[in-house]
Amino acid sequence: MSPAPKDVLGYKPPDGGWGWMVVFGAHISIGFAYSTPKALSIFFKEIQMDLGASYSEIAWISSIMLAVMYAGGPVSSVLVTRFGSRPIVMTGGLMCGVSMATASFGSSIIYLYFCIGIIGGCGLSLNLNASLTIISKYFLVKRPLANGLAMAGSPVFLCFLAPVNQYLLARFGWRGSLLILGGMMLNCCVAGALMRPVTPPDKWTSFAPQTKVEQPNEHNTKIKRNFGRNAKKFLDLSFFKDRGFVIYLIGNVMFIFGAYAPIVFLSAYAINQGVEKYSAAYLLSIMGFVDMFIRPATGLIANSKWIRPRIQYFFSFAMVFNGTCHLLCPLIKSYVFLVVYAAFFGIGFGMVFALIFECLMDLMGSQRFPSAVGLVTIVECFPMLLGPPAAGLLVDVFGDYKYLFFMCGSVIMTGGLFLFVMNIYNYHMLDKEKAAKNNEQGQKDTENQDQEKAASWIWCLRDYTIFRECLTLYAQVLG
Amino acid sequence: MKLLWAVSALLLSCWRTDASTAGFTKSPLSQMKLIDDSAELHCEVIGNPIPEVQWWFVEGEEPNETFTQLFDGARNDRVQINATYIVHATSIIHLTSLTLDDSGTYECRASNDPDRNELKKTPKIKWIRSQANIIVIETPNIVTEPHEVSNQTSAVLSCNLTDSSLLIKGSYWTLNGNILEDSVSADDSPFTVHRLDKITHSNSGTYECVFKTEPQVKQTIEVKTLPHVVAYKHSEHGNENDKGVMVCVGHGHPLPTDWGWFKEEDGNRKQILNGTGDKYEIKSTPNKTTLTINELSIQDDIGDYTCLGTNELGPGSDKIHLRVRSRLAALWPFLGIVAEVIILVTIIFIYEKRRKPDEVNDGHHLDSCLDCI
Repeated sequence: MSPAPKDVLGYKPPDGGWGWMVVFGAHISIGFAYSTPKALSIFFKEIQMDLGASYSEIAWISSIMLAVMYAGGPVSSVLVTRFGSRPIVMTGGLMCGVSMATASFGSSIIYLYFCIGIIGGCGLSLNLNASLTIISKYFLVKRPLANGLAMAGSPVFLCFLAPVNQYLLARFGWRGSLLILGGMMLNCCVAGALMRPVTPPDKWTSFAPQTKVEQPNEHNTKIKRNFGRNAKKFLDLSFFKDRGFVIYLIGNVMFIFGAYAPIVFLSAYAINQGVEKYSAAYLLSIMGFVDMFIRPATGLIANSKWIRPRIQYFFSFAMVFNGTCHLLCPLIKSYVFLVVYAAFFGIGFGMVFALIFECLMDLMGSQRFPSAVGLVTIVECFPMLLGPPAAGLLVDVFGDYKYLFFMCGSVIMTGGLFLFVMNIYNYHMLDKEKAAKNNEQGQKDTENQDQEKAASWIWCLRDYTIFRECLTLYAQVLG
Repeated sequence: MKLLWAVSALLLSCWRTDASTAGFTKSPLSQMKLIDDSAELHCEVIGNPIPEVQWWFVEGEEPNETFTQLFDGARNDRVQINATYIVHATSIIHLTSLTLDDSGTYECRASNDPDRNELKKTPKIKWIRSQANIIVIETPNIVTEPHEVSNQTSAVLSCNLTDSSLLIKGSYWTLNGNILEDSVSADDSPFTVHRLDKITHSNSGTYECVFKTEPQVKQTIEVKTLPHVVAYKHSEHGNENDKGVMVCVGHGHPLPTDWGWFKEEDGNRKQILNGTGDKYEIKSTPNKTTLTINELSIQDDIGDYTCLGTNELGPGSDKIHLRVRSRLAALWPFLGIVAEVIILVTIIFIYEKRRKPDEVNDGHHLDSCLDCI
C-alpha cells in the first residue's frame, strides 16, 4: 500500500485532458534542462581554440551550469509555491535564452562562466522544479505515466541536440550556434505558456463557516505571512524529520554518486578494450536511444495496479538492476557484449530516472513536493560533482577501468538494497500509525457530523434573513 | 724484553693481515673496430688499500716489447681516461677517431703495494696486469646498387659486401633508423636485396643495409620522392573581421625546403607574400606551413588557396577553400525562432482566454442549502 500523502490536494486532479499538453510542455522543459549542459560540450574545442583556455577550464562551464541548476532548487521551490508554475517556467526560459544569446558575444572564459554557467543554470533550475510540480498538480491516478513521459525529454533532446549542434557549429561557428541555441531555449517559454494553473472546481469544501465572512482580508494576510515564513526558510529543515524523506534522500545520494561516472568513462573504457573510436562513441548513442523508450514504458508499468501501490520497491529494483549491470561490465571484452551492456545500462538508467521524482511525489504529496524537490536537488549537487572525479581518480591510481565499474556498481546496488529494506520498515511503521489514527478518527467523525449540520442551518438562516430584509425594503419603496 | 718483541711482532702481523692484495674484478675485452670508430676498455680492481690503475700500450713481440704508458689527453687528445677510487678502483679508457696505428695490445696494470713506484725494485713483481687487443681495420667496401633513387615508382635496392674477411652472421635493412622486420635474415651471404614495389611518400627516406659482423658495417641508399603536400582541412571557415588560418603539411623525403601560398583569381595564381601589409602572415617549417589572414572580408577573401611545397626533385601542392561567415549570419535564424516563440505563446494565451468564460460555475452553495430546508 502506498504511503498516504501528508496532505489532501483539496480537489480531484484532472488526470487527462489539458494535462497531456502540460506533460508535453514539461517534456520540453525537462529536456532542455538535462541535455543542455551535456550538449554544450560539442562547442568546447572551438571555444578552447578561440579563447585560448585549457580543456579543464572550458569543462568547468558544464559543471557550473549543472551545479547551479541543482543548487537553485530551494529558491525555485519557494518561487513556485508562491507564484505557480507558469510564470516561473516562462521566466526560466527567458533567462536561458538571454544567457545563451549574451554568451555568444563573450570574449573571456569568466564571462562564459557567468553567462552560461550561472544565469543559464538559474534559468534551468527554475524550469526543472516548476515542470515537476505542475505534473503533480495535474495528475494523480496516471501520475507515473505522466512522469515517465516528461522525464523522457532528457534523452530525446540529447539525441536531437547533438547532431543539430554539430551542424550549427560547422555552419555558424560557436558564437552563432550559441545565439541560435538561445533562441531554441526560448521555446521553454512556449512550454511554460502551456502550463495553465489548475483552478479547483469547488471553492466551498472547507468546514469553517465562522471565518467565511472575514475570509477575503484574512486570506491575503495569510498568504503574505506564509510567504515571509517560507522566504526565511529556503532550506526547510523540517523535512529531515520525515522518515520516508530521509530514506529516499540517502538512497538517491548513493545512486547519483555512482550514476554519471560510467557514462563519462564508457567510450574511454571501450577504446581501452581495443574498440575503434567511432564505434565507442556509438555506445553512448545506443544507451540514449534505449533510454528514450524505456522512460515512458517504465511510467506505464509503474502505473499498473500491481506496481503502483509498491512503487518504492520497483524503484529499488531498478537501482539494483543498474548496479548489477555495472558490476558485470568488467567481464565484457568484446564489442558485441559492450553493445548489450550499453543497452542494459540504458534500460536501468531510464527506469531509475523515470521513477526518481515519481517516488518523491508519492512520498511527499503534491503540496510538499516543490520544497522537497528543492532540498533533494541541492543535496544531490555534491555526489553529482564528486562522483566522476572520484571515479577518474580510481582509474589513475589503479590504471584499470574495472575498479571504476566495481565502485559505481557496488555503491548503486547498496543504495538500492538500502531503499528496499528501509521501505519495508517504513511501510510497516506507516501502517501502525494509520491504525492508531483510524481509532482516533472514528471518535472525531461523529463530532464532525453534528458540527456540519449546525453549519448548514446557520447559512440557511442568514440567507433567509437577507431575503426577508430585501422584501421589507421593496415593500417600503413600493408602498 | 724478548716477550715484548714477540707480542709486538704478533700484533703487527695481525694488523698487516687486514690488508689484501689487488685482484681484477673486471678485465678489459678485446675488440675489432673500423677506422674512425671509437673504442672503450673497462678495468676494475679490488684490494685494500685501494689499488692504483694504469694503462699501458704494448708494441712489438716478445721479448722485444716496448711499453708506453697512456695518460688522459694522450695521442692528440684522442685518449680519455676516467678513473674512480671509491671502495674499489675503476678505470675506463676511451679511444676516439681510431687509426690503423692504434692497433695493438692494451694493458691494464694495478697494484696496491706501497713500494710499487720504487725505481730500485722490478715493477713486474708488484703489479698485476690484464691485457686486451684492439684491432683497427679499414672499412670494407659495400657496393650499393643503385646509389640513389630519385622519383621512381619502384626500385630494387642491393648491397654487396666485397673484400672483407669478417664473419657475416646475417643482415637487415633499416628505414630512417627503424629496423624493417621482414628484411632480417641469418644468411651469411655478403649480398642482400630489398624490393620496393611501390615508392610513395610513406616509404621514402634513408635506407641502410646493415651486416651483422663484428664490428657492424653498413651503407646508405637514399630514396627520394616528390613532396606529398596535404591540407589539414580542405574547407576552412572564418568569421568576418576575424582571422582565418590555413595549414598545409608535407610528407616524404626529402621534406620541402620552400613553401609558397597562392590565391586563385580568375584562373590565375597570385602569389601571397609574407608580410604584405598586415594582412598575410606565413610561418613555415620543413613539414608544416601556416597562412594567417587577418581582417577577413567577405568580398576579397573568399575563394581557393593553394599551398606549394618544393624540394630538390620538384613541387607538391594542395587546395583549400576559404569561407567567410558574416557576423550577422546567425542573427536571421535567431530572429525567426524568437518570432515563432512569440506567435505560439500568443496563440496559447488567446485560446485560453476564449475558453475561460465557459468554465465558471458557482451554483454549489445554493444546492447544499436547498437540501437542508
